[in-house]
Amino acid sequence: MDCKEFQESISEAVDNRLESDSKQHFSSHAKACPACRNEYEREQITKSVLSKRVQHQTVPQEVRSALLNALHDIRPASRSWFAGMFGEAFLNPAVALVAFLMFASGAVSLLQKNNAIPVSSDKNIIAQSLQYYSAAMTGALKPTMVSHDAGDVREYLSKKTSFDVSVASLDDCDWCGGIFSDIDGVRLVHVVYKIGGEGILYVYQVDMDEALRGTKVALPENAKSVLAKTGWYFEQTPDRCNVVLWKHKNTLCAAVSKMDKEKMVALLSNKDPQ
Amino acid sequence: MFAFSLAITNPMTGLHKEFEKEAIPHTDILYNYALRMTGNADDAHDLLQETFLKAYRFWDKYEKGTNVRAWLFRIMKNTYINVYRKAVKEPDTVDYNDIQNFYNIIREDSADANDLQEKLFGHLLDDDVTKALESLPEEFRTVVILCDIEGLTYEEIAEFVECPVGTVRSRLHRGRKLLYAKLYEYAKNRGFVGKD
Repeated sequence: MDCKEFQESISEAVDNRLESDSKQHFSSHAKACPACRNEYEREQITKSVLSKRVQHQTVPQEVRSALLNALHDIRPASRSWFAGMFGEAFLNPAVALVAFLMFASGAVSLLQKNNAIPVSSDKNIIAQSLQYYSAAMTGALKPTMVSHDAGDVREYLSKKTSFDVSVASLDDCDWCGGIFSDIDGVRLVHVVYKIGGEGILYVYQVDMDEALRGTKVALPENAKSVLAKTGWYFEQTPDRCNVVLWKHKNTLCAAVSKMDKEKMVALLSNKDPQ
Repeated sequence: MFAFSLAITNPMTGLHKEFEKEAIPHTDILYNYALRMTGNADDAHDLLQETFLKAYRFWDKYEKGTNVRAWLFRIMKNTYINVYRKAVKEPDTVDYNDIQNFYNIIREDSADANDLQEKLFGHLLDDDVTKALESLPEEFRTVVILCDIEGLTYEEIAEFVECPVGTVRSRLHRGRKLLYAKLYEYAKNRGFVGKD
């Protein structure tokens, strides 16, 4: 092997790709020619410094979520989950009207721009969850993390909450998404499920202590007592939105949907991981 | 602003599901490449997003069964070249004699390769190394990133950048040589460990 051939083989020698024959020729030349040997060593050092100092990075969670969101937004069938919500909401004039009135009356005020979370003016958790449900339908409440895997969303939400977050792996769920918000310093978690053929299931979550004894959010007395007795509380609004309240560990969950009540309860009671 | 006419269909179409299943697992390597090419997290984020949106738009052009990672990578590289490429000058002429002489002096009293490396580049900051990498011309930088940071084989790199394996080999050699010269320059400014 001459110097020119040696030069051409350096990178493969550094990356351990030489066959045993070439390897032998390579090392005998290296022994005989200090200039070539030095160049080989320098390339080795360079690779080593590089792989030690420049680390492979894991994609930050917010980058990953933003990417999934962006992909959802260009979905051809319903364009965006935003637009999809509008379309769906307007199929039902009652929902549209309620959403529009809330929006117009300022009950749901938008905080502007990045992930503006609507802030409710009513302390009643049931009223709040209905408002957030409408906000989810209009796109005012938009998840910061969306995934097909409930586990991903649970993990994302659990990092920033003191209570146990409930994100269930529901049958026929196309995707689920999550977002946090704060109401006077009380942390709320919002989970949105898109169930194939059934539309949207929204779940409001707050620390149980805050719900029962806090001053920022509150439960109506009858709901408290039914919940304490049976573990569940159910209510239907005049425009047939179903609200189901239940306790998940130290968390109060309030699900809102246009789905059939029985189906909602069946979905939630079976699949909520304990 | 209200869209009355939108069809209500299952938003997760088969196409969409297939795209996510095939493409999303490669987010990691693409993000890292974007990070090393653009040099900052914000641009890397934008480049990543643009790449995936483009890939989704052209998903019908992707030939099933071929290397989806290489296909995505090429979209990213073209996007980068069209949008983000800053004019990277060919590195200034390097005085290889200077480097060679210093290297020989250090080498004389260094016990082993680790010791040699520590004496040469021990004072370098991680930022220096990143900066040196970013100073390489695009074609060299790409192969060095894919080989030395992402750990791809020569064959896969050849498929990524659409060139023969021999070209990968020579670009790696040239790229690392330029990188060494750059590192040497930074190390000289920081003061070598071995210099008395």
